[in-house]
Amino acid sequence: MLLVVIMAATTTLTLGLVLHGETNHPYERTRVATAGPDVVANIIPPTQNATGKVTQQQLRDLNTLAHAPGVVGHSGPYPVTWAVLGAHGLTASAEVEGRDRAPASIDQPRVTEGSWIRNGGVVVERTFAEALGVHTGDSIKLNGRSLNVVGIAVTAAFSPYPEICTDGCDLNTPQLSNTPGLVWVTQDEARSLSSFEEPLTYYLNLKLSDPAQAVAFTNKYNNFNSAVTPSLYTWQQISQDDGQLLKKEQLVLMVASWLLGLLAVASVAVLVGGRMAEQIRRVGLLKAVGGTPGLIAGVLLAQYLLLALLAAGAGLALGRLIAPVLAGPGAGLLGTAGPPPVTAANIGVVVAVAVAVAVAAALVPAVRAARISTVRALSDTARIPRRRAWLIALSARLPVPLLIGLRVAARRPRRIVLSVLSIAVTVSGIVAVLFAHASLDASQSGASSGLANPQSERGNQILLIVTFMLVALAAVNAVFITRTTVQDSRHASAVTRALGATPGQITAGLCAAQVLPALAGAVLGITGGIALYLAVKGGGATVIPPIWWFVAVVVGTVIAIAGLTTIPSRLGARRPVVEILRAETA
Amino acid sequence: MSTAIGTPILSARGLRKEYGKEEGLVRAVDTVDIDVAPGETLAVMGPSGCGKSTLLHLLGGLDRPSGGEVWLDGRRLDQMGERALARMRRQSVGFVFQAFHLMDELTAQENVELPALLAGSSPRSARQRAVDLLEQVGLPDRRAFLPSALSGGQRQRVAIARALSNEPRVVMADEPTGNLDSAAAVDVLRLFDSLHDAGQTLVVVTHNSRIAATADRMITMRDGAFVDETNLTGGTAGHLGALIGLEG
Amino acid sequence: MQQEVVLALLAKEPSYGYELRARLGQALGPLGDAINAGQIYVTLGRLEKAGLVSCERSSGLADRPDRKVYELSPAGQQRVADWLTEMRWPKPDLAEFHLKLVAAAAAGLADPISIVDAQRRELLRRLRDAQRAAMAEPDRSDAALLLEGVVLRMQADLRWLEACEQSWIDRKATS
Repeated sequence: MLLVVIMAATTTLTLGLVLHGETNHPYERTRVATAGPDVVANIIPPTQNATGKVTQQQLRDLNTLAHAPGVVGHSGPYPVTWAVLGAHGLTASAEVEGRDRAPASIDQPRVTEGSWIRNGGVVVERTFAEALGVHTGDSIKLNGRSLNVVGIAVTAAFSPYPEICTDGCDLNTPQLSNTPGLVWVTQDEARSLSSFEEPLTYYLNLKLSDPAQAVAFTNKYNNFNSAVTPSLYTWQQISQDDGQLLKKEQLVLMVASWLLGLLAVASVAVLVGGRMAEQIRRVGLLKAVGGTPGLIAGVLLAQYLLLALLAAGAGLALGRLIAPVLAGPGAGLLGTAGPPPVTAANIGVVVAVAVAVAVAAALVPAVRAARISTVRALSDTARIPRRRAWLIALSARLPVPLLIGLRVAARRPRRIVLSVLSIAVTVSGIVAVLFAHASLDASQSGASSGLANPQSERGNQILLIVTFMLVALAAVNAVFITRTTVQDSRHASAVTRALGATPGQITAGLCAAQVLPALAGAVLGITGGIALYLAVKGGGATVIPPIWWFVAVVVGTVIAIAGLTTIPSRLGARRPVVEILRAETA
Repeated sequence: MSTAIGTPILSARGLRKEYGKEEGLVRAVDTVDIDVAPGETLAVMGPSGCGKSTLLHLLGGLDRPSGGEVWLDGRRLDQMGERALARMRRQSVGFVFQAFHLMDELTAQENVELPALLAGSSPRSARQRAVDLLEQVGLPDRRAFLPSALSGGQRQRVAIARALSNEPRVVMADEPTGNLDSAAAVDVLRLFDSLHDAGQTLVVVTHNSRIAATADRMITMRDGAFVDETNLTGGTAGHLGALIGLEG
Repeated sequence: MQQEVVLALLAKEPSYGYELRARLGQALGPLGDAINAGQIYVTLGRLEKAGLVSCERSSGLADRPDRKVYELSPAGQQRVADWLTEMRWPKPDLAEFHLKLVAAAAAGLADPISIVDAQRRELLRRLRDAQRAAMAEPDRSDAALLLEGVVLRMQADLRWLEACEQSWIDRKATS
């Protein structure tokens, strides 16, 4: 049992660490594969322009940039416009870049399916293609005109769908949404797609002699006071936009691993506490036969150490297996095939944590036992339950199952606290997830209807996995706590049954001793979850999920705990009374 | 076969309890018939492992027989469901155990209150009853003491008070003086005597011949079966002086 | 030396004087060392005079008591039968009861276990009476103290009787 718990903790820790160490490799890879630009310069037609086109001056500005000091190469300027895209019955918006058939020296999108553009053909950016569900050979419409999808490609010059417009898109046509996707066509095609509402803009890709100087370059040439001069942005900004998604996911996972870690600590505390009496006895025995404190600590430690090491190993392996599911770079970038590496540092941390848990589990009973005399350690009075006179008096006024339940709970108040906290942590996580989910849903409503938003899909996926893990560990916790409680109170239960309580009343009591703290924990968790989400989400508006979700969480928690605790309680309540009474000479 | 006059308050026919099977079959109680008259004190004696404790558990509804019938207060126990048995234990039977089996974290008074609370009494009436009973067993000033602060004899008296809480038809005692020294045993003895005088039906399983001597009837058990039955109230042994050799 | 004991030892079959002494020694163990041969022959003489025992001289030998063959007379047999069912409890000599059991078993006259049971029943009744008497007296009075002593001794005797019972049951099981 302890093994499972420590394993869960080590798995999540591994996940958290591995993903935290994720670097921006996918973007790097894509940049290398596509000869991505260091700086992208973009001009848009001035708003007061009667023709609706870019001026000659603007084009000259671009040309100047292309030959500025520090620039060693350029591609473009390429015409870009916006169009309404229709595919498989879905309507979306597209940013259309006109390109040459011949490969460019800077920013040549890497084709992953099919081939590059030709007349009458269009190449779709990979994330966009996945969201639309188009493949090579399909036919799509741009502004009503039918085109053949000849290929799918990725690029490092733009953020993948739906994040193209992180720097703002200047869209005039109402039908166009603000989450467009990227497609490439021939330059002529692009020009013919432009209209008065959506005139051509131009993009220039620049390569610098020193890519690290990109920020300084853009600072030098960006003029934020003017809307007509070229606006520049760096490859680092694009990389950052790409990384945003990953960062968000990392954040979620980091928080999740903390929550799971807390739950695991609670589990371990319960388990160790449950075994405390036994361990103290063992220490007493060792002392009685002359064991030195060193020997005693050694014996206890050896017991737990093996367990901890096994759990650490299993957790690392499991974490390594799960990580790729969560750490994928997304369709818009080239990723690796294998799982992210588990560094030596990660292994070290996980093993250290597992060992620390083992040491704690071993030392606490040892220290406790060292403080009391050997005689007391050997006798069963080492763990006399607590007595709360007012609780006992109160319980007398309640119906029998609640009487039993309250007295059972009052015997081990620390365990009840752990129970409440464990549920509170779980519900906090779930509530935060609900908020995040609602926020994702809301952002999705801005996108074109029917289109899958890969970002929110992935987000939801991760949230689901996190929720699942939280619930699983909380369930394991609940079962442990119940089993320990049932074991602990078996003498009291047997005596109570001998005095005339039915097994049903005992079962109900044992369940109540778990369900009521769970209710408290759930309510606490709602508050905690709100606080957690607010603390973590950073900027942006807070979308409040419907109230009935919260009610459902509380009710669901209560029902789940009741269900989980019923079975061990029932089993405990039906053991033959005489067996227990014979065994316990209390 | 053990017989008693009048309608017995407790009786069993062909009572059996077996464990294991075939080669390993152990007959803890081997086809026993018994009748206990109301107000009678019955002692069951026998060597360790003869099955007397098992018999008591079967008669009190704490354990289920492998075969046979048990009738308590006119109701058949061996066919009752768990809930009905629990009700039986609440209303008709009080148990006293060798190991006392008090709750460590409850005071003497709270321990004695418990059966009444389980039977649905109000807290006030349960408390009053507990106070009265503790006085009856001679511990009026120990009400607020925890079991750990009481001597063995005192603990057993609390247990006896607890057993009397719901005015049971039969009190069953399983080696009540097993864990007590002789002085404490005498206290328990006196208590049983006074209960008997008050008309309480008592079935006692014991090693202790002094306890057995308080009974009206004594049954000897061996290997799960009754082998002897003695009426202790019939015919005395003659003048007490003979006991100390004052006569010839 | 109790006369009945010697009688009972003859119940199984007639025997020489020295044989009787040997049997007695065997039954009593180290406690029997205190008994000397003379006591047995004196008792045998008395029994003969009382007509409970008849004696024969084995042919062709001089007139020596240990060479005489002793045998129970019908009156003697009756006496033994009565003795076996007697419920007297002698104090503090347990040897008589012990020998009663030994003799009964050896001669096949009665089941020692039922003798023990009967004695136990009787003792229990006496214990009950003594106990009631003790509890009826005021606490810590002289009478109460004396009666308590009686009760405790009877309790000890009852424990011994249980041990006797168990021992004879075991003997029966292994024989």
